[in-house]
Amino acid sequence: MLLGRFMTDLQYIQVPLWYLPLLVLIPAAVAAGVVSWLGRRARTRVVPENDPDWSVPPLTQGRGQGTSLIHRWDVRCKILTMLAYSFAVASLRHLDAAALAVLFSLAVLMVARVSFHKVMLRLAALAGFMGMLLVVMPLTVPNHPGDTIVVFGSLDWLGVNVRGGILAATIAAKATAIALLMEPLLSTAPLPMTLYGLSRLGVPDMAGQMVLLSYRYLHVFTHEARRMTAGMQARGFAKKTNMDTLRALANFLGMLFVRSFERTERVFDAMQARGYKGRFPDPGQLQLRLSDIFIAGIWVAAGTGLVFFDWLKG
Amino acid sequence: MGTIIGDMPIFCVRNLCYAYPDGIQALSGVDLDIFSGDRIALVGQNGSGKTTLVKLLSGLLAPGQGDVLYKGKSLDGEHLNNSRLNIGLLFQDPDDQLFGHTVIDDVAFGPRNQGKSGKAAALCAKQALHRVNLEKLAYKEPHNLSYGQKKRAALAGILAMEPEVLILDEPTGNLDPGQEAVFLDLLKAFDGTLICISHDLIFLYELCQKAVVLHHGSIHHNYTMRELVSQRSALRDHGLDFSFRMTIPAIEMPAHEENGKNGCGALSDADAGALNNPSGPLPLVRLENYGYVYPDGTPGLQDLFLHIHEGEKTALVGENGAGKSTLLACLCGLRQGSGDLFFKGTRMTRKRHKDLWRRAGLVFQDCADQLFCASVKEEMIFGLRRLGLSTDECRHRAAAALARVGLAGFEKRVPLHLSGGERKRLALGCVLAMDPDLLILDEPTAGLDPRGEEQLMAILETFDKTLLLVSHDLFFIEKLTHRTLVMHQGRVIRDLPTPVFMQDDKLCRFNGLSFSYRQRTATAIRQLQHEHEHRHPHLHIHDHTHRHGRTVHAHPHEHLHDHPHRFVHTHPGGTKTHDHAHRLVHDHDHPGHEAEPHDHSHE
Repeated sequence: MLLGRFMTDLQYIQVPLWYLPLLVLIPAAVAAGVVSWLGRRARTRVVPENDPDWSVPPLTQGRGQGTSLIHRWDVRCKILTMLAYSFAVASLRHLDAAALAVLFSLAVLMVARVSFHKVMLRLAALAGFMGMLLVVMPLTVPNHPGDTIVVFGSLDWLGVNVRGGILAATIAAKATAIALLMEPLLSTAPLPMTLYGLSRLGVPDMAGQMVLLSYRYLHVFTHEARRMTAGMQARGFAKKTNMDTLRALANFLGMLFVRSFERTERVFDAMQARGYKGRFPDPGQLQLRLSDIFIAGIWVAAGTGLVFFDWLKG
Repeated sequence: MGTIIGDMPIFCVRNLCYAYPDGIQALSGVDLDIFSGDRIALVGQNGSGKTTLVKLLSGLLAPGQGDVLYKGKSLDGEHLNNSRLNIGLLFQDPDDQLFGHTVIDDVAFGPRNQGKSGKAAALCAKQALHRVNLEKLAYKEPHNLSYGQKKRAALAGILAMEPEVLILDEPTGNLDPGQEAVFLDLLKAFDGTLICISHDLIFLYELCQKAVVLHHGSIHHNYTMRELVSQRSALRDHGLDFSFRMTIPAIEMPAHEENGKNGCGALSDADAGALNNPSGPLPLVRLENYGYVYPDGTPGLQDLFLHIHEGEKTALVGENGAGKSTLLACLCGLRQGSGDLFFKGTRMTRKRHKDLWRRAGLVFQDCADQLFCASVKEEMIFGLRRLGLSTDECRHRAAAALARVGLAGFEKRVPLHLSGGERKRLALGCVLAMDPDLLILDEPTAGLDPRGEEQLMAILETFDKTLLLVSHDLFFIEKLTHRTLVMHQGRVIRDLPTPVFMQDDKLCRFNGLSFSYRQRTATAIRQLQHEHEHRHPHLHIHDHTHRHGRTVHAHPHEHLHDHPHRFVHTHPGGTKTHDHAHRLVHDHDHPGHEAEPHDHSHE
């Protein structure tokens, strides 16, 4: 009876059962495979034949890297503009507007000439989340009047809501568009300079310093954790679902915390011993030029255009 | 000796006491004067208060009682801030000190805090990096440097500040001999005041002129470096006697001596034949065409053919990155490569590979990586439980292993609070308790004081199973192993009897094990230790002003004294006697002799 009431508001498209693998399972499997392959490829560090020349700043190396418009852009303008633009993208409601945002982000990537490998790493990190949305939302979104439901053969219980699919695709496209901009935002200036820009925009110094030190010591703590894990495995530790494993993991985490805490104290001592008085020296000078404002203006106009286009779609 | 400028010490420490918040009295009643230009070795056992003293000298801790004066003023307020910019402190672990985003950012940190502009600081940083030969890595991130490079980068960070005083905490800890020699040269070139904490007296002997010995938070001796190293009894009292390192027995040359003199070529046919001899006894470990490639595509091990027989004591040497650690990880099941690995003739399939930990026990270089339990007892039982032993058997084995490594009665202690040597022995005990067929030691002497080294050596000398030792310490290699495998670029390029390897200085140098300065220093110290031990009558011929009653005059004269005397001579060894007759008449300083009564005849 309930089905009958909805039958009047919903549009059902019945397709043969063999469409299920053709339209859903095979594309999903291919997409999962491609994402997984890209992720593996992105995580596999390619050993360069020649070690880069570390006597010059990395941003000035490579094929024109460091000379792009985005590299030269004032870091404060870059942060503010990209932040504002990201909010604009996040507010989009239609798939075609979100797709346009992805295209714009790709164009920015081309202009900035950032590392494709790192971009792939960021996308790989998002892929699981987006994949889950694309799979779950068409099946779970509440059916609204006017929705189109695709039914495969006699599997009435497996109605795929097209609106849910479009909604998931829109969210995925917006997330991709924003994620693609992270690389131009973070890799086109040294991290200390970006954090200095944040500080000049009013973010407390301490927050920037914490990010800088966290970035540096994350590697150290990761190495320590790996060595400790190897130390446990060398004495037969293997994760199981039992109290023994929980106790061992608790000891491991406790020891890692104690070692990290002790290191933190030593690092602070080392900083003080070299004259640290609560503030890192400024990494350079920031100078706002007319061209910086001009680029910001174009970018904001693009964001506004996207929002307007989205609004026009209703 | 230090140059005294205006008779005022650069550091003046008076009645210094310091207790940590947990109540541990680290220093008590320390009095010390350090003059500009002094080169002081700060020595003592682990926990004697050395690090606390340097932290107080650099103003990182405030004295609990007493005074620390730097250039005549107490280290506090604005004077402390200014002093920190003139006192360079090099920490033991370079990762503590390299907090910058890139190497050059880090090195420029100090100069920027000294008030230099960005450009001037960058220039200072580049000069300092040039001094430590790291200018080509200026923009690399510190976590991507090797350990030796990190140590030098950390030193550059201090040198860039052009400090008047350089304080070093274990500067050569975990460095291979090649890197150690580089570090020594850098420190010798420093012309300011130098205070160095180290357990390595051979290194300190080359670097320092004065020695301050701390014992339980007090200064026990403050004298010259020569005096320190020459007094074995004082060294032994303070756990610093490294003389056992200088008593290596004469090397017996084995039959196939020529193999060792070929330098660094490929494995010889004879060696290869020996490795692949199928008619020999079944090896404990056999690797056939074994290889390992890291996930990033870097080859770790390549075309490895290796046999290790039961009971064999084998050393594994090679430069950093040669593949030693990768091989160890494969042998104890932490990594699995391609090719075949046989253990007692059984091929290690993927499933069996996971159980390799039951047969091969690995003691890590940094034993802190291996100790994570809340008590020594728990730590001992951790591996035993996983072997599936009964509680009684676990308890029995743990107690036996603790007694074997000299830690009986430590069951309730917290591993984290043990000294470096105790922790190393605990890690070894945990592995020995599991009774592995193959014991693998990765740099066992790293961070140990001489007493700890001696204790470790005594334990290992009683170990009668198969041993694989990875070390840069040629003394340990020579003392503990019969066979040395030389690795290079993931391959075993040489398989030699250890005595042959030890005689090949070219091969040692090639593997970053050059120890020529250590040999030179050890010889000098050995001579010093012999010099002072003799007290016998001496005939002196000398010319100086002296008094006979009321007559004061000077002329050459000869007379007999009985007093301790230093000179270089050889000992036949054992209880055999030796004499010094041929050196009986000689000339040397004799302080205070002018004031002694002179009753020789005048003709």
